[in-house]
Order: sequence, then structure tokens, then C-alpha cells
Amino acid sequence: MVGDEHVEMIPSPAKSVWSAEVNGTPVEVLIPSNAVLLDVLRDKVGTLGVKRGCDLGTCGCCTVMIDGVPRLSCLCLAGQVDSTSITTVEGLADGAHLAPIQACFGKYGGSQCGFCTPGFLISAQALLNENNTPSDSEIACAIEGNLCRCTGYQQIIESIQGAAAIHRGEVPLPAAASDPHPDPHPEGPDEPNMPPGHAR
Amino acid sequence: MSGGYRQQPGASGGTTRKDGKRVAGKQAFPPPGSGGSNPKMKPRDLDYIPESVGGKEPQPAGSHIHDRARTGTTVGKGIPLVDSNAKVTGQAWYGDDVRLPNEIIGKILRSPHHYAKIKSIDTSKVEALPGVLAVATGADSPHRFGVLPVTKDEHAMAVEKVRHVGDLVACVAAIDEATAMEALNLFEIEWEVLEPIFDPKKGLEDTDEPIHWRGKYHLSKTNVQKRVFQEFGDRSLVEKPHAESHGKWTMAGVHHGFTEPHAVVAHWDPNGRLQLYTPQQVPHYTHRALSTVLDVPMHQINVIRTFVGGGFGGKSDPFPHEMCAALLARKSGRPVRITFDREEVYWINRGRHPSHIEVKMTADDEARISGFDIDALIDGGGFASFGHVTSYYNGVLATAPYELGSFHYTGARVWTNKPASGAMRGHGAVNTRCAVEVGLDEMAESMQVDPIDLRLANLLPPHSRTISGFRITSNGMREALEKVREGSNWDEKFRKLPLGKGIGIGCGFFISGSGLPIHWDPNRFPHATVHIQVDMDGGVTVHTGAADIGQGSTTAVAQVVSEVLALPIEMVHVRSHESDTSPVDLGSYSSRVTFMNANAAIRAALEIREQILNAAWEILGYHPDNLVLNDRRIYYKHDPAIGVSYLKALHKAQEDKGSLIASGAYRSPPMGGVHKGAAAGLAPAYSFSSYVAEVDVDVETGIIRCTNVWAAHDCGKALNPLAVKGQIIGSCHMGLGQVLSEKMVYGRTGHLQNANLLEYKIPSVHEMPHVEPIIVESCDPEGPFGAKEAGEGPLLPILPAVVNAVYDAIGIRLRNLPLTPDVVFKGIERAVKKAKIDDPVDLPCPRLTHGPMQSVLVSRAQEHKLRDKARQRTEDTSPYVNGVLFGFDPTKPLEDQVEGWRTATEPNPEQLAELGLAGRAWLKKEQRQMGGEN
Repeated sequence: MVGDEHVEMIPSPAKSVWSAEVNGTPVEVLIPSNAVLLDVLRDKVGTLGVKRGCDLGTCGCCTVMIDGVPRLSCLCLAGQVDSTSITTVEGLADGAHLAPIQACFGKYGGSQCGFCTPGFLISAQALLNENNTPSDSEIACAIEGNLCRCTGYQQIIESIQGAAAIHRGEVPLPAAASDPHPDPHPEGPDEPNMPPGHAR
Repeated sequence: MSGGYRQQPGASGGTTRKDGKRVAGKQAFPPPGSGGSNPKMKPRDLDYIPESVGGKEPQPAGSHIHDRARTGTTVGKGIPLVDSNAKVTGQAWYGDDVRLPNEIIGKILRSPHHYAKIKSIDTSKVEALPGVLAVATGADSPHRFGVLPVTKDEHAMAVEKVRHVGDLVACVAAIDEATAMEALNLFEIEWEVLEPIFDPKKGLEDTDEPIHWRGKYHLSKTNVQKRVFQEFGDRSLVEKPHAESHGKWTMAGVHHGFTEPHAVVAHWDPNGRLQLYTPQQVPHYTHRALSTVLDVPMHQINVIRTFVGGGFGGKSDPFPHEMCAALLARKSGRPVRITFDREEVYWINRGRHPSHIEVKMTADDEARISGFDIDALIDGGGFASFGHVTSYYNGVLATAPYELGSFHYTGARVWTNKPASGAMRGHGAVNTRCAVEVGLDEMAESMQVDPIDLRLANLLPPHSRTISGFRITSNGMREALEKVREGSNWDEKFRKLPLGKGIGIGCGFFISGSGLPIHWDPNRFPHATVHIQVDMDGGVTVHTGAADIGQGSTTAVAQVVSEVLALPIEMVHVRSHESDTSPVDLGSYSSRVTFMNANAAIRAALEIREQILNAAWEILGYHPDNLVLNDRRIYYKHDPAIGVSYLKALHKAQEDKGSLIASGAYRSPPMGGVHKGAAAGLAPAYSFSSYVAEVDVDVETGIIRCTNVWAAHDCGKALNPLAVKGQIIGSCHMGLGQVLSEKMVYGRTGHLQNANLLEYKIPSVHEMPHVEPIIVESCDPEGPFGAKEAGEGPLLPILPAVVNAVYDAIGIRLRNLPLTPDVVFKGIERAVKKAKIDDPVDLPCPRLTHGPMQSVLVSRAQEHKLRDKARQRTEDTSPYVNGVLFGFDPTKPLEDQVEGWRTATEPNPEQLAELGLAGRAWLKKEQRQMGGEN
């Protein structure tokens, strides 16, 4: 950033076709050989849910799952992960359905400003895929590479525990969303929901 | 049927994988139109309707003016943030996520020198580089801007001189990032390097080349940006103290550490209007500054606030890079995006001021606090930013929650050649509060009393006035102290734990909204305005300028509107991103949003509610007083079967005029004194908090580990307890960082050495203690449904609680923040040498045997508890001002009762000799008094 003398730019790196399966969809893009995975995902693939916080592997906002393993996309050359399967935060929800971890981050307050949330979700989902009975300290170890400045982590741990309970099948999905009203009635009720014996 | 949105068959219960692991099913998004789609009306939720209007919600602090507007819909319920689905799906759009067609990339050239004059800038080589589309320098933006109208000292890019390493010199826009980076190397600049200063103490002295020049208002030839002197009360009380404490503190500068780096996108649309996308806490200031710098009227600028990836005060200034993007976009005719890397975030800074603070305090023979004497020298860095206000806050926010015999404050903020300090969560109050609370702990020790009892016996009651004239309304301080004492099992632990384990207390006091809107007269314009529009579909659109920075202000506004109109929250849509569609709002600072914006929203919603109820009156024939508004239905209160749906009533109301529109505003009541600086720290309500922290200190390494925190915060009324708890825990996290590990390190050469998140040590999940958030509800009479702030105040008590706990653990008072292991270890080394022992594990541990004063305090606290309860519930409405504890009559001016009682904003000549470090700024004269430049 700061320099007195002019450094000649290195010649443009060679470009090649990079392919991967991003969130279940095959992707092929033309990238320079020195492209960083984070840049490819944000600028070429268009998964802007992968966030750039520091470029140095210190904040964890850019965490993505590569073949099921959470990795920092800012420290990863795209060429290294050619032909892999990559999951970003956009790949957690299945069409119109939120994953339990996503629903729980809302329900337990695991997300405030939301910038670090995509990274946390990926780290947490990777943990839950392997271990659906994590202890608090196992969760802490799984998210130690992710920095959150808003929540103080406590509600994030509660969110992950909540999602783990859903994964174990102990707790049903939150009722409001798992039972969408079959007959939308946006004009509002005409009849009150009265106790029995009170009807006119 | 909306089949496409039903649960996938078999998915809801989860499935078992081949390897035997259970995989949970996915949860559905809400289907379209699901808001209010339940064909049945929900019964009234009496648990969330206050007692005063026939519900079951207990009201220990008394009833509230907004009780009548409660419908039991959302207020008081811990619901998810309304934008949480956008955040968990990655669809929330932050600054760098705005990608406009045909965009180009902007980069900023930053100063390599701490302090230098720019003799010339040659941009010819830059312009010649293929791919470069626009170049701008300070010459393109001669107009000054700044946060406060009185301290406009910034330019988009340096004009004449640079003031710190990283100061903006020029900017360039090119077809891609690589070309823009390459172009930065081609600027040819001739510098004349000047002698920089880094030590704020040197800033008090005259110099050849002050960093800024304020003309006739400049203080001699120093680098003092602002000096403050305030003295209230009877100074003779401090002359024969029964107990005293004296401490000199050094506090390092800390940074907000938000995870989203600054980013901005500027685009001049085909009609010549500027569309500027920026993650801002205070879009309105940016709007004003852009207008000044670009010489374009405000109505030709649309500031679009993106989602904000954390602010904490660090995104509340109008920033020079926002001007740069607009200039480059105007020159190139294409949208320009500038995104900072993490290092640049530290160069723009605006974090908490590095401070030298000295606190002296005294108590009289009845253990009343007879005097606070505070001196704060704060290091402002290269620009004023919010510093004018910070200079006041360092003193005046220490005038409560205790009743004081006298108060004396001298403060000075100086310019140095470092990145500018500014506003950060707990603005200006944090460092002094820490020093004051530790001082109280020390005084309690010398009087042999429990520090909690000392506090309980010296609190200002609800509905009183502080020594500086602030109006205290609701006050939950006593309850907060009692709750943490009980929760932490304080009486069994304090001064009884073994060496290396300690427990400590700290309190906090913070404003809930600044009483003075900086840019206009509060008597002419409101602080906040909210518009509500209800169209034929029944959905409610709320327009507000309040910036949601993750604290949940959008949710709070949606909640209060949903509460007043008794509609499911899904039917309320908050539009707060664009200045084109939002009424002017001062933005998210000084913890004003919940208080002011929600108040404005309630007013607007009440207007809509009245129109709908009147329509129902026409249909049903019952006066609105006899109608109940509940979940999308209005019915006769004695027979719920007689009623009309919300939509039918709405359509009736719309018959003549179409969609219903209402505007609500909030204005603070007139308050405060008339002395200079009386408006600083003035707020319509104040929050109170009290924390107990438990720490482990390793006496052989100096490593401190905070293990437990009991955190009680009086937020008036928790509109959303889930969000309030999140704010409390998050505040603990940020405060713990400041007290234990975070520090902006400026080396011997004045260079910032840790401008990254690896060496700037924000606590990770492993450093977080268990925090027990305790919500205290004092029901503020003017707050929305009784609410006050919960975003900043909870940060204050954690610092002194930890410092006091460290003393309890190892018997050493440390006054050099952060308490990194090296600082603690040096303290232990000194203590070991002084105690003439070989091994630190033999260090003596402080113990407490109650002295005679203890019983006096306990009985006084008992009396005051009854007094406070009566005042809180307005059973006792007699006037109370600071000084009653010292035997004065609250109905007469104190100046008439006590000979020495004074309110002063300038020192007496005889005081000049004994002023503290920052007070020395008063030895200098302003240029106009020196007959200098006009």
C-alpha cells in the first residue's frame, strides 16, 4: 500500500478453466492461476454470502465447506480445490427450507449484525454432520477460528446446541415454520377463536 | 392451496443415514402471504398485557403511559430479529455485496509519513496507465467536512498536509483491482516531512506546526483540540476526608473490531443524482457531508444504507472514502466500488481514545462521597471526529449514579499524528467509569466496608437530578446491585477466596439517547420521525431512517408497531435503507434508536389505530372505548362474537382517502442546565447496570482468566429479551477485550504495529466467561412501553468489575489497561519485592473485617430502599436533587443554601496552580485573547 518506488507488475498469470461443484451445481469459470478461492466464489461464482473480513485467515468469515471439511477460502488458491464439492452458506438451505442450524441461529439470537454468520454456520454444520451430540467445549473448538464481535459467542453456542437437538430428533423443527398454514387467509379472521360454549 | 411451500414428505421428522446417523429434516421458509394467514384469531395473550389494563404482566415499577396501547402481540417476547432469515441464508447485502453493472474498482493512496506537507502531486503517469479511468486528489475536494458543525476539519483527501500514516492522499479508479493497485505506485509526490508528535502530553505544549489551525479560537500554538473545565458543588467538603482514593490510569486505545471492513459503492444515475451505498450507522451525516464536499444539493443525493456488519460507533462518521468513491464515479461516469482491507480499517480507526486519567475521590465521616476530582487527557489522533463530545463525556457521565458532595472535572483532547480516535460503544464514559469504580472499591477497603453496601447507601433515587443537572427518571441501579449480589453469592465469596481467585463489582451509567440533535435546534425539529403506510392488502409499511447495525432496531420498530396494531409481526415491513424513502433520522449513536425511534413509531401507529377503530365504530356501533383490538380482529369487549375483521375495518377507513398514512415524531422534553457544556450528557433517560466478575489469576505467569460474570442491566423494559440478553453478553465480550487483551500498539516510531486481527487480540470463544444476563425493568415513564437503551451501557461495568476482581485475587491494584500478562506479572514482581518474599504464591491476599461504618451503611441503604421504591412508583413525588443526602433542601436553589456551592465552567485563577495533567491546558490562552490572528 505504502511505497516510494514503482514495482513492475508481474506478467499476467496464465488463465485456465476451473471447475467445481458449488452447492450441488457444477460450475466452470475461467480464472487466473493465482486466483484465491474467496475471490472466485464472490466475483465469478456469485456466492456473495461468503464474506471477506480480513484476507489473512484471522476472522473466519470466509469459511466454506470443501468436501465436507470447513476451510478458509481466503487462504486457499482456487487451483488447489479444483474438482471438489464446495458448500457455502447459500447451500445450507434446501430450496424453500431452512436447515436446522439456520433456523436456530435466528431463534436463539446467534446472529446480530450477521456478517460473521455465514462462516459460523458452515463451521457448525460441519461439526453437526460428524457429531450431533457435541459438548459446549467441542462446539467451542469447532468455532474457535471464527470471530464474532456482536454476540459474545454464548448465544451462538446455544443455537448450535439447539440445532444438535433437532438433528438428534429430540426436538421437532420450530412449529411456526414447519407447519405452514395450508390455506393462506391474508384478509384476517372473521370469526374469533372462542372458547367452547361461547359461540353465538 | 400453496402446495409448493408445504413440508417435503418425510423431511420434517428427519431421516437415518446409511451409517446409522440421524440427519435432521429441513425447516420450511414461511410460505408467501403467511403473515396473518391463520384463519383463527389467537386469544389475547394476557401474560403480556400489563396489570394496569387488566392483564397478568406484573408491574413492580408501576404503570406506564403506553400500557393502553399494549395488545400482548410481540412486546416483551424474545422473538428472532426480523432480518435474521436474510442473515442466515447469506442474502443480507453488506457494503461489498453491492455489485452494479459496469462497475469499476477504486483504491486509495495513503500517506507513508506521519506528518508531512504535500509540495506537489504529479498524476500524469497514473493517468497514462491503460485501464485507469479516473484519478482524484485533494485539489478536487477543497471543502471541509466533519461530524460536528463546530469541528469540520477533514477533507476527502489531504489538502496541504497529511496528518498520520494512512491518511488519504489520492485515489484512483480502474477496470480491475490489479490495475488500480498498480496505479497507486505511479503517483509522484514531493513531500516536506514535518516533526510528528505521538505523546498526548506533548500535545499540550506549544509547537511550530500545530496539526490543525483554528484561527482565533486556537489555543496558543498547542495541539489541544478541546479543553473542558466543570466544577459543581461544595468543594470545602473534600478538605478533611475520612477516606480517600487516588489513582493514575493509562488506558490504551482500542478499536471496534467489527468484522465487516468499510466498503462503499457510488453511482451517478442518468439523471445526475448520486446513489451512494454504504454500511453506515449514521447515513444522515454522510448525506450532509457529501452535499458539502461535492457541492450538490442534498435532494440530489440518495444515501442507501446497506446491511451493516457491525458498527459499535466505528461507522458513524462521514468518511473520506465515501467522498472519494463519489468523486471517482463522477469523473469516470461509472459505478465505483471501494472496499477496505483490514489494515485500512485500522488507518481510519475512530476507536476509543488512548487516555491518561487521574481520579481522586473522598468520603466524609458518614461514608458519603464528598468529592470526585477527575482529570482526563485523551489522545484524539489526527482529526476531531466526535472528540468534542468525548471530551465532555469523560467527565460528566461520572456524575451519577452516586450522590456527590462536589464534582470537579478537567479534560483535554489533543491532536497527535495517529489515526483519529472517535466514538466507540460506551462513548467517552468507559475509561473514567473504570477509574471511578475502582476508586470506590479502594475507598470501601480503607473504610472497612463492603463495596456493594457503600454503593447502595450512596445512590441517587429515581426521579431526581444529578449534581450537573441531568434529570434522572427511572433508576434500576439498586435492584441491579441486589440481583448481582444474590446471583453471584457475593457475601460468601468477597475477600474470602484463596490467592489467585477473586471477585469484583462494577457499576455503569449511560445515556439513552442524546438530548441534543447535533445539527438542529431540538425545539424546532423532532429527534426522530417515523412514517407508516397501510394499503389495501393490510400490510403495514414503516418508513424510518434508523440504521439497523445488528442491534435489532428494525426489529424493535416492527415490534412496537405490531404491538399497537395487534398484527402478526410478519405483516409489518420496515423500510429503512434509503434516504429517498425514509424520513430524516440521526442514526444509530448514543443509544438513541430504541428510545426515540420506537417512541415515534408508537405515535404513528396510534394514529393508524385510531382510524381503524373509528371505522369499526361505524360498522359495529360501539364506541372505540368499548372495542378490543386483538390479532386481526376488532370486537365488542363484552361479547367477542360481535366484531369485525381488521381488513374490513381497514377498508372502511380507506373508503374516502385510500391507503392510511400517519407520521409520528419524537422530541425530548426541555431539560438540563444553562452552563457551558450543559447539553453534553443530557438525555431523556439513563440506563444503569451492575456486574460482578469472577477471575482466576495465575500468580506465576500473570495470566488472567475471567470465568463468570453476573450482568444486571436496567433497560427500562425489555421489548425483546432475546435481543437485550444478546446485547449484554456482547458488551461483556467487547469490554473484556479492552480490559484484558485489546490494544492498538504504537511503537517507538509512532507506527501502528498491529493493524490486523491476529495481533489485535479480540477475545475468541475460548476467552469468554459464562455470562449470566439479568434484565432489570424499571419502566421508564417516557420510554416506548417503558424501554431504555441496552446497547452501550452494559459495556461499562465489566472493566472495573474485572480490575476489582484481580485485586481481590492477588491484592494488587493495576491501573494500566489492558491487563495483559506482562503488565500483571510486573505488578506481581513489584509486590513480591515489596513484601520481601521469594515466591509469588506466598503473596498476601486481601481480607475484610467489617469496620464500624458497615452497619451505618447497611441501615442507610435500607432506608433508601424504601425511599426509592416510593419514588419509583410515584407514590412519593417530592422534588429530589443531588445534595439532599448532605442535608440540603431540594426546593431551594443550592447556591442560596451553601456558601461554597458553585457551578463553574472555567477555573479560578487560584485553581490554575493545582490542575491535573489535562487541566494544564487551562494555563494557555486562546489566540483571540493573545491578540493574535483573527
